[in-house]
Amino acid sequence: MKSRMTIFVVSLFMIGLTAFSNAFSEEYQLEGEVGVEGVYAGVTGEEGGRAKFTEYRDLRQGVSVFGNVGLGLDSERFFLKLRASDMGYDTQSYRLEGGMWGKFKAYLFYDEIPHNLTFDSRTFFWGAGHHTLTGTPNTNFSTWNTFDYSIERHQYGGGLRANMIKPFFFDISFQREDRDGIKPAGIAQGSPGNIVVELPEPVDYTTNNLNVEGGYAKNPFFLSAGFIYSDFDDHNDKLSFTHPQVPFPMDILTLPPDNKYYKGYFKGAVKLPLNSKFNVNAGYSSARSDANLLSSFVTNGTITPVTLSKPNFDGRIDTQNYSFVLTSNPLRFLGGKIFYSYYKRDNKNDVIFQNAEFNRPFDYRKNAAGMDLGFRLPANLYLGAGYKFIKTDRRLKGAEPTEELIPPDNEDNIFSIDLRWTGLDSMAIRAGYERLDRGVDFVGPVPFNRRSAYSSFDRDTYRASVDLYPMENLNLGFGYLFKRTDYAEIFGLKNDKRHEFESSADYLIGKIAKLYGFFNLEWIRFIQSVQNPSPLGVSREEQKERTYGYGIGSEIYAIPQKLTFMFQFDYLKSNGNVDFTLDPGLFVAGTGLGPGSGANNDNIDITNLDDYTKYALKFKAAYHFTKSIIVSAGYAYERFKYNDVQLDNYLFVNPPVGPVTGGNAGYLTGAYKGQSYKAHLVFGGVSYRF
Amino acid sequence: MKRGTFFLSLMAATFSLIFMTWNIVRGDSGYVGSEACKDCHEAYYNKFMKSVHGKKAVSGNPANREGCESCHGPGAQHIEKGGGRGVAIIAFSKRVSPIEKSAKCMACHEESKALAFWNMNRHKFAGNSCDSCHSIHRGVEKLLVVSEPDLCFNCHRNIRAQTNKQSHHPIKEAFVGRQVLKCSNCHDTMGDFATEPIVSFSGSRRSGTDKMIKADSVNELCFKCHAEKRGPFMWQHPPVEESCLICHEAHGSNHGKLLTNRVPLLCQNCHSVQGSHPRRPYTNLHSFPGPATANRNKFFGRSCLNCHTNIHGSNGPAERGEAFLR
Repeated sequence: MKSRMTIFVVSLFMIGLTAFSNAFSEEYQLEGEVGVEGVYAGVTGEEGGRAKFTEYRDLRQGVSVFGNVGLGLDSERFFLKLRASDMGYDTQSYRLEGGMWGKFKAYLFYDEIPHNLTFDSRTFFWGAGHHTLTGTPNTNFSTWNTFDYSIERHQYGGGLRANMIKPFFFDISFQREDRDGIKPAGIAQGSPGNIVVELPEPVDYTTNNLNVEGGYAKNPFFLSAGFIYSDFDDHNDKLSFTHPQVPFPMDILTLPPDNKYYKGYFKGAVKLPLNSKFNVNAGYSSARSDANLLSSFVTNGTITPVTLSKPNFDGRIDTQNYSFVLTSNPLRFLGGKIFYSYYKRDNKNDVIFQNAEFNRPFDYRKNAAGMDLGFRLPANLYLGAGYKFIKTDRRLKGAEPTEELIPPDNEDNIFSIDLRWTGLDSMAIRAGYERLDRGVDFVGPVPFNRRSAYSSFDRDTYRASVDLYPMENLNLGFGYLFKRTDYAEIFGLKNDKRHEFESSADYLIGKIAKLYGFFNLEWIRFIQSVQNPSPLGVSREEQKERTYGYGIGSEIYAIPQKLTFMFQFDYLKSNGNVDFTLDPGLFVAGTGLGPGSGANNDNIDITNLDDYTKYALKFKAAYHFTKSIIVSAGYAYERFKYNDVQLDNYLFVNPPVGPVTGGNAGYLTGAYKGQSYKAHLVFGGVSYRF
Repeated sequence: MKRGTFFLSLMAATFSLIFMTWNIVRGDSGYVGSEACKDCHEAYYNKFMKSVHGKKAVSGNPANREGCESCHGPGAQHIEKGGGRGVAIIAFSKRVSPIEKSAKCMACHEESKALAFWNMNRHKFAGNSCDSCHSIHRGVEKLLVVSEPDLCFNCHRNIRAQTNKQSHHPIKEAFVGRQVLKCSNCHDTMGDFATEPIVSFSGSRRSGTDKMIKADSVNELCFKCHAEKRGPFMWQHPPVEESCLICHEAHGSNHGKLLTNRVPLLCQNCHSVQGSHPRRPYTNLHSFPGPATANRNKFFGRSCLNCHTNIHGSNGPAERGEAFLR
């Protein structure tokens, strides 16, 4: 497939080249670059580590040789370009485009994007990657089957952008994506609870996307109308697997249904007097799916039939949106904008009764309006002030919900102010403040069903930045943001507070060297409380994340235009922890924190929540033998060290001894296990430019 | 108007017209032609002539008008004064106001799909001009000053910090081969249809600034690449239906799957009062080596997702589907 794609694209280019040179006898230039790069990678890591190292790239243990080609033909009227990279690898990419300057452009492309999650994962099932998994649970995981959690996207398509009959324009593009691989899923034996079984879920999707747009662009008007069509096809609508308790019949996990999506839209603008412009955006979309429903499920060794009011589900969600914006800049020192927008999600999903259960289609609509004003003040000051009001109305369709299920509405009031000073050529200062007040109209008993996603809250955000240009060749930047959100509800997320600091610098020392660097610091704290049901009691969780990173780099032009040395070092460290404070009554049997566990408020805290250190060091030298031939070589070292309370001391079978039937046991596959890695990379290449 | 006044006005207009025409014929318009620029700025001239701006086949192009002076203004005085950066010429330096610089580009490019809504663009109001991101003479692809994402990171330093985090979209992956995702895959940096106050910079996960995304809602943007999440599902998880950003970060996170927080803590943001096991405390004692004997399998590995695997929506049967278990 990969080599066929290479041949196909190169053949297309040759056809284009022939057509170009024959059909248009005008003078043209051929430019390009052909390069080959060899990389030796020595990777040390466990299952997750080797995958994490190559998460979005195709660079495994040993030697890899990457070929890259760029060709371009250019004449007074026409152009033709080909770019091919990583040929033959899971990251390969090809793009061929050609056209007539200022008239039209046509293009074709093919890209592959890998996403590796964990290699050499294990399961007692047979059939990983397929829609049926069979097997009997056993605790001897060393004999289990191995597979990789990995997904690969293959994207190809093309398009045409035409602007031949100005002021009219026309764009059309098509893309098809085939996605295949395996991702982790899981099931509980019962409903809910009992043992956990992790499953390899097959990914075998095809998505087709078509975009068409046409319009008119000539002052004072801009008019554009378009259509989007997207068609998603999941080649496996169900994953059947042997239930760990009752082998027959098979249990079933439903997978994403096929869907189709249509959208039509219009955008327009008209220029008005007083340097004003009126802008309109309107759209209508419909997403549809259908699925055959299951008429039974397996739980705790028995088959429970489901009486369905309808054997299949027809899903349909329509959206409408329109926005109107009037911008005006009537005076040099005054500018502003006033706007209104509306978004409605109309849920037309089937309501299906299943035994005593039924689904409640959820929909909402959002009205927003606001304005802002900008003033250019004396002394190079710019002052901006804005206000936005958003009203979100939600509802559940179907049978009348009980009070506690009625989704609440929100009203947001957002005020913002921004001050900018550019009084010196060598400095720009900016400071801003924003206040967000969210109101909510919860219905039902307090505090039942009051969730942070809907909760009322107050948010203050402060921001400041300074950019300095003390010399033409020196840039310095500093930024700071503080955000604090206080939620009004008694339980759930109570407080979110964060500080962010960033800085960067780059310095060009004549024709000798370029130095650059950055530093960033982030501090986040969440406070939340949850109410334990039995025994009744409250646990308070204070979570902190401290992350800082920096990078430094240089390019040294040892022999200008001839020999360049490059150096780069990036470092990032993050520490997370959770401090628990539990009501004394919660240290009892049934919670996992009973007397036998020795638990108390001093020894239950989590000290390693997604802790990691990540750094990379890279040296490279590039030598221009001639203007056309460049040789490069280098070395890189990458390190990722990861510790986490939920993944450290990983067990495929838990508990590791005896039959795994207890309510807190599990058969796992190793998803995300052992993500740390070390990698040494030696690379070198040669490229020829013409 | 009296006849005499009208006659005098007509005479004045006629003489003015003759004088202006004479100056143009004589060459006093101030334009000297691109060849004159080449004498001192040969490298820029060569780059310009090879670029799309140098193609005479494109109607309205600088090459069909005053060449270099289409953008830089008449150069006669610049030459007379011996040259120098910004001397009697528009040099697109920091000293020239962003509005003045952008106006030069917009004179030709305003009538285009890409810039139709530049009038309400945040980049414009933040004091940027076209040359903040583009360089006609030194630009790389699309005449950008440097390639994405480094160009964007010059100002959006916090986003660079996020993309460095352990869980991230492949925005910086370019060690070998191409960059996988570009900022411009999701963001319309010049033509966004903005229904937010320009000065707004914070907002909430659900209803805050629109961040110039190339869609009418957050979910519409995400579903372009994650179409399997589009459903529509029989059993829906309301926050999923409202905005992916309630649970996910867009650029990078310390937590897997770009989650805003670690599961189960993220789930407990909302599920803190209702149900049974969702609202228990899950501590270090519930981890793999921990001694807890109850509720362990709700915490280790992928935690809540060990069982609630179809958290984005399900077509599963009855309560199994309702709880996203099948």
